[in-house]
Amino acid sequence: MPPSFTVDLEAGFRGLIEAAGLSPAASRLIWLPLPMLLVLVAAVVGVLVTVWLERKISAAAQQRIGPEYAGALGILQPMADGLKLLVKEDVIPARADGLLFTLGPVLVVVPVILSWLIVPFGQHLLISNVGIGIFLWIALSSVQPIGLLMSGYASNNKYSLLGGLRAAAQSISYEIPLALAVLAVVMMSNSLSTVDIVDQQSGAGILSWNIWRQPVGFLVFWICALAECERLPFDLPEAEEELVAGYQTEYAGMKFALFYLGSYINLVLSALLVTVLYLGGWGFPLPVEWLASLLGQNIDAPLVQVVSATLGIVMTVLKAYLLVFTAILLRWTVPRVRIDQLLDFGWKFLLPIALVNLLATAALKLAFPAVFGG
Amino acid sequence: MFGFLRQVGDYTRDAVSASRHIAAGLSVTFDHLRRRPVTVQYPYEKLIPSERYRGRIHYEFDKCIACEVCVRVCPINLPVVDWVMNKATKKKELRNYSIDFGVCIFCGNCVEYCPTNCLSMTEEYELAAFDRHSLNYDNVALGRLPTSVTTDPSVIALRELAYLPKGELDPHTVAADRPRAGQRPDQIIAAEAAPSSPENS
Amino acid sequence: MPPLADLTELIVFVLLAAGVVVGSLGVVLLPNVVYSAFLLGGVFLSVAGLYLLLNASFIAAAQVLIYVGAVNVLILFAIMLVNKREPMADAPGLGLRRLLSSGVCAGLLWLLLRVAYTTPWATPGPTPLGEDAVVRLGEHFFTDYLLPFELASVLLLMAMIGAIVLARRDVFASDIGTGEAADQGLIEKARSPLLIEKTRP
Repeated sequence: MPPSFTVDLEAGFRGLIEAAGLSPAASRLIWLPLPMLLVLVAAVVGVLVTVWLERKISAAAQQRIGPEYAGALGILQPMADGLKLLVKEDVIPARADGLLFTLGPVLVVVPVILSWLIVPFGQHLLISNVGIGIFLWIALSSVQPIGLLMSGYASNNKYSLLGGLRAAAQSISYEIPLALAVLAVVMMSNSLSTVDIVDQQSGAGILSWNIWRQPVGFLVFWICALAECERLPFDLPEAEEELVAGYQTEYAGMKFALFYLGSYINLVLSALLVTVLYLGGWGFPLPVEWLASLLGQNIDAPLVQVVSATLGIVMTVLKAYLLVFTAILLRWTVPRVRIDQLLDFGWKFLLPIALVNLLATAALKLAFPAVFGG
Repeated sequence: MFGFLRQVGDYTRDAVSASRHIAAGLSVTFDHLRRRPVTVQYPYEKLIPSERYRGRIHYEFDKCIACEVCVRVCPINLPVVDWVMNKATKKKELRNYSIDFGVCIFCGNCVEYCPTNCLSMTEEYELAAFDRHSLNYDNVALGRLPTSVTTDPSVIALRELAYLPKGELDPHTVAADRPRAGQRPDQIIAAEAAPSSPENS
Repeated sequence: MPPLADLTELIVFVLLAAGVVVGSLGVVLLPNVVYSAFLLGGVFLSVAGLYLLLNASFIAAAQVLIYVGAVNVLILFAIMLVNKREPMADAPGLGLRRLLSSGVCAGLLWLLLRVAYTTPWATPGPTPLGEDAVVRLGEHFFTDYLLPFELASVLLLMAMIGAIVLARRDVFASDIGTGEAADQGLIEKARSPLLIEKTRP
């Protein structure tokens, strides 16, 4: 039986190069940096779109117009913002610790961008299907607080230090319910790999998505993800009324832009991971196989594969940006919590709920292995 | 045991009511997305100031009798009236008159009390300057008339909310000849005169 | 292509090993304790990199999560919350102390080196499990390593309860001003006024 055609970027690209007469080693060397470049470009474009959406939706929620003149509908405004930050003077305060001050933003951004490795846009459309998948993301996102503490400390400023401490406290508090929520999903799919998690949700279209099996886990995960991204109900590390701008106070130019970039990449990444974990990843609300048979097409035909892969990418991005939209709406709806409320909420509400959810999932898995993953 | 269960129940009820309140808030925010902005694109579009607008003060040098009433009614004695007594004619001779608009609060008392009506309010409100001393207008600067928003060819004049027809919120979509909500004073007078006239006749 | 892969592996190994050695020397020798703590994070990350080289990706991720994300952040927290920046006075006999401690460390290093050189290592070691490592780890935790696993969790529970008792001083302490039991819950407490009436003796 001939292998069925699937959309596999690496195999396709290397096949193309090798057909041009290069050795497999050379084709591998050429291929290696491409995924990294792809991740960077995807992350940055995702951020640009998110910044534009944030500004436009915020404006709409407040009956303003928002950016209008930079490009059609102000679509170039995030570019202009980025360019402005790029050419701004890079100020390092006189009594700050120059080395740590520079290293801090880097440590904040790098783990976030690295985490994009595991985000799948299709069966073979991800950078690397590492076995530990979602666990890699949890591990990497725990590195971020070090960068925040570092920049807070190095700024030699009370507000920065307090902001950094708050950010780190918030980050490690919400990491735990987040990991527990992920654990419940992992338990159902018997795998840490993001591809397996999505595959486990395919089959019956929208009905087989994890959100129906894990409604509590979904809410816990989304709340924790917002807290990890320091989005508005939980943005107190940079609460401007109390802390000027938190750990970002002393930063300017490109270093500030790195924080900005990092937080928005993190938001898009969180939305993508919610999509993967709870909203069926690249799955269409109706099963693609069923649609293909309805149209009388063979699912393994090249054209159908290309169409379904494109559909997968569109669906993933669409779901993720729907979640970004809810995050922006939440931003203009919910007031900021106090630090004691934040920690209370994390430790006394989300943690027990996530634990109960985990236990309930385990029990349900034993009771109904057909529905909750055997 | 029972107390613990009740605590759990209370806690759950609190959580549910909190999430319902958040949902209600979200629906309000979402509903606001439907409303269109009524933004006035300022340098290109301007609102027409209302007819009693208290803008920069206009001053006519020739009408002024240097009585200094404006100085006396001003909360901070702002106008500077520079006059000398002409011994020959036994009259005050006005040299200079100036008001510092960086200090003026536009209360309109001077305009109200001026016996010769040489002071009046204009509809000019764009008083930004690079140097605050350049806001100290002398009698020449005070005598200039501002460009009217409605006659400025580079500006689209828009009506304020109170001058729009009933039910309209966005001045951009309202035709210029549609009358405002309510009646103008002359219409009220005409309406009062109209029913009484048949009785008289 | 084995030569390329081998060379890459060697370079990465040398870099990571250098990171571990130089980093840990820095942790011990640097006078600034904050730098030491950050370098400790670097050392943990390098160790995680070494695990990755050994194809133990789960252990590497766990190393990052627990040592960098939890242990190191807590160390940094502790340092920054008590950050006084006071100049450390040299303890008496510092040179002798340094000499002694370096002697102990050198002895320990010699011991470890001896163990490393005399142990008959089975090279090449067992083939890495790769993706199955998670399953095997779980099996071991719940069969032959069950007792140490549970003991560790009991130890952690004890440490946690101890920390809570230490942190909640209200178990022992009472408010100095009023004499009533002090409460650490700052917000919810019905607070007594700052100025206590001293009318009644």
